Amino acid sequence: MKFSRHTRTATAVAGAAAFALLAVGCSSGATSAEPASTDNPVTLTVTTFGTMGLDGLYKQYEADHPGITIKATNIDTGGNALTDWKTKQAAGAGLPDVQSVEEGWLGQVMAVSDSFTDLGAHGAADIKDRWVPWKTEQATDSKDRIIGYGTDIGPVGLCYNKKLFKEAGLPTDRAAVATALGGDSATWAKYFETGKEYKKATGKAWYDQSGFVWNSMVNQLPEGYYKADGTLNIEGNAALAERWGELADGAAAGLSAGQTQWDWGKGKAFVDGSFATFVCPGWMLGVVQGQVEAAGGNADSGWDFADVFPGGATNWGGTFLTVPTQSKHPAEAAELAAYLTDAKSQVAAFQEAGTFPSVTAAQTDPGVTGSNALSKFFNDAPVGEILASRSEGVKAQFKGANDSVIQEQVFGPATIALDKGTDGQSAWDSALTTLKNLDLK
Amino acid sequence: MTSTISPPSGPRQERGARRDEKAGASGHETRSRPSLRAKLGALDVKVSPYLYIAPFFILFALVGLFPLVYTFIVSINDWDLLSGAGDWVGMENYVAELNDPYFWNSLFNTFSIFLLSAIPQLIAATFIAAILDQNLRAKTFWRMGILLPYVVTPVAVTLIFSSAFDEKYGLINNFLQMLNFDAVGWKSEVLPSHIAIASMVNWRWTGYNALILLAAMQAVPRELHESAALDGAGAFRRFFSITLPGIRPSMIFVIITATVGGLQIFTEPKLFNPSSSTLGGPNREYQTTVLYLWDLAFNRGDFGKASAVAWLLFLIIVLVGVLNFLISRSIASTNGDRSGKLNRSDRRAARKSAQQNAQGSAQENSKEHRP
Repeated sequence: MKFSRHTRTATAVAGAAAFALLAVGCSSGATSAEPASTDNPVTLTVTTFGTMGLDGLYKQYEADHPGITIKATNIDTGGNALTDWKTKQAAGAGLPDVQSVEEGWLGQVMAVSDSFTDLGAHGAADIKDRWVPWKTEQATDSKDRIIGYGTDIGPVGLCYNKKLFKEAGLPTDRAAVATALGGDSATWAKYFETGKEYKKATGKAWYDQSGFVWNSMVNQLPEGYYKADGTLNIEGNAALAERWGELADGAAAGLSAGQTQWDWGKGKAFVDGSFATFVCPGWMLGVVQGQVEAAGGNADSGWDFADVFPGGATNWGGTFLTVPTQSKHPAEAAELAAYLTDAKSQVAAFQEAGTFPSVTAAQTDPGVTGSNALSKFFNDAPVGEILASRSEGVKAQFKGANDSVIQEQVFGPATIALDKGTDGQSAWDSALTTLKNLDLK
Repeated sequence: MTSTISPPSGPRQERGARRDEKAGASGHETRSRPSLRAKLGALDVKVSPYLYIAPFFILFALVGLFPLVYTFIVSINDWDLLSGAGDWVGMENYVAELNDPYFWNSLFNTFSIFLLSAIPQLIAATFIAAILDQNLRAKTFWRMGILLPYVVTPVAVTLIFSSAFDEKYGLINNFLQMLNFDAVGWKSEVLPSHIAIASMVNWRWTGYNALILLAAMQAVPRELHESAALDGAGAFRRFFSITLPGIRPSMIFVIITATVGGLQIFTEPKLFNPSSSTLGGPNREYQTTVLYLWDLAFNRGDFGKASAVAWLLFLIIVLVGVLNFLISRSIASTNGDRSGKLNRSDRRAARKSAQQNAQGSAQENSKEHRP
């Protein structure tokens, strides 16, 4: 019986330990109100995606703010970052202190804007004049709470390959290219027309695939997939259908290289002459450089950047830094977000990744307008100046809750179908069928 | 914990109390009340076995049963991923899914990939096992060799295969074009994409299944083979009449796990073309049911419908599993009848060896070999 007594004691101890564990698990939600210092170290987690050019700034911030450690995670693409955010948002746990949000899925974030810290409580009012006004408006919810600080915006210019243009007998100088495509009054018609000339001269494709061209066409419209009141705006949208017609005509003429977006044969398509032009929002410049270099190319591969865009000024993408209410250190996180989006940081990020600043002071900074590694890659094009010029006249388009799903699942397959030879009308019809099947609101 | 403060003479007293209890039962009612100690002792005997097996059941309840029930609750509500529970909708999500062309498309893809992978895989695994069962040189080398693909993580396998199957720059299409064939739309056409994905599954799982079947084959008594050979049975006849019925329980195990795994296939189609805007091919050419479920939950945010799909898939897997079990049992027992001509001692030997077979279910063996 002695043995049995020991067992019972052991059981009791084990049981008590289990309860203690539970108790500890429940009580670890305490929030420290004390500001961070060497005596009260705080670890801030940051999640970014793609190439945002912020990595170099963390160390500086840590040095300036003793007691703060930054743990950064970078997710490869915006789509994966969206999935990551959604999963953690739904689970109610696991979000970082500073979460980057892409413009394309801002609609979904705004639907649950209550779960983001009102940055107005952390000094947003004092600094909100930093940004171009439409950027801050995008991150302001219906209750006038500012939930995000803008990092970059995505004014779109045209990347073109100088060598390929030369082969086809087209102008190669970037000012001449801009003029040839119509300058300030460039239209899609003119763009496709020039593309057909190029195709005739070389037999090669004019752009990489229809998807990105279509995205820019939609972003350019005053209202895209949604009306400003939040209702769907696809069926019976004449402006949208007209542009689809132009795009389908271009694809039918063989202007699309039918590449896989975000893949491009691991960059090979950028160096083997598969296509001569490419839609380039500011942040895409870093992507182009990365792709070319991945395929063994360099500045001599011939890519250049022209101050022109068919259909006029437009914005594609851009990011915000938000502070989820899950954060245990909202004050410190808001301060870090403000730092990462101030003029100095945005200049640094631009030089790193070509992400064009949303802060007005940074847009005219010599660090942006001057020469840098990126401009050297693009044949010494003044990329900062060109992007500043491309951002003139941009109006923010309302993004609905399912904007990104429509872009990817409804028009993604339809643009691929165009590239594979489906005629415009049936591709459009199948897009509408998909939209119906998906039952999106 | 009264026991710890009871006097050291406790155990003897307790024994005494027990005797008293017995005495009480046989008619002496004066001292029939058992002490606390005895009660605890009795409790110990009754309850502690359950405590010992409790950890498994507690874990199962937490990570198995609870999610299952919770998923069902979610599935009968209009549940948005981000904004949470909405209205109670009853079976509406199930009805909507059963009427959704994409759901049926995903089922078709799942079964197509499952059949394209499971059937060749099991046939190949059986024959590889039969070869490895022979007297080969460097046995261990070959046996470990076929398990190597299984060691590689599915993500790495998919990345390599995805690159090889790339439509424009992939190794396989380059090779085909070199031989003057047309490039195949591995990532955008239904059948080619299914074959490509099935090849990844086969590459990874054939060796694993072959090893399990090999272990089963080694437990088939050699005397049966010898006596059959003496009776003039050829190698093929012996394989089909002795080896196959002998490895039946393991075969059932392999088929059931292949069914469950095959119908839940996710990683391979998910990463086959990671840049695709729609999961599982531009027009859902290889969107399997789990992928569809995931898309529904995490891209379209409809948690209610996604949970309904999860439950439908669960029911389908159970159904197919039972069906496979019945089919494989009937096939093997026809073969078993043929071997029924064996004499009694051989049957006993077979029964004995089957009991030693670690992979099979003991219950099945005894049913099959009972005279």
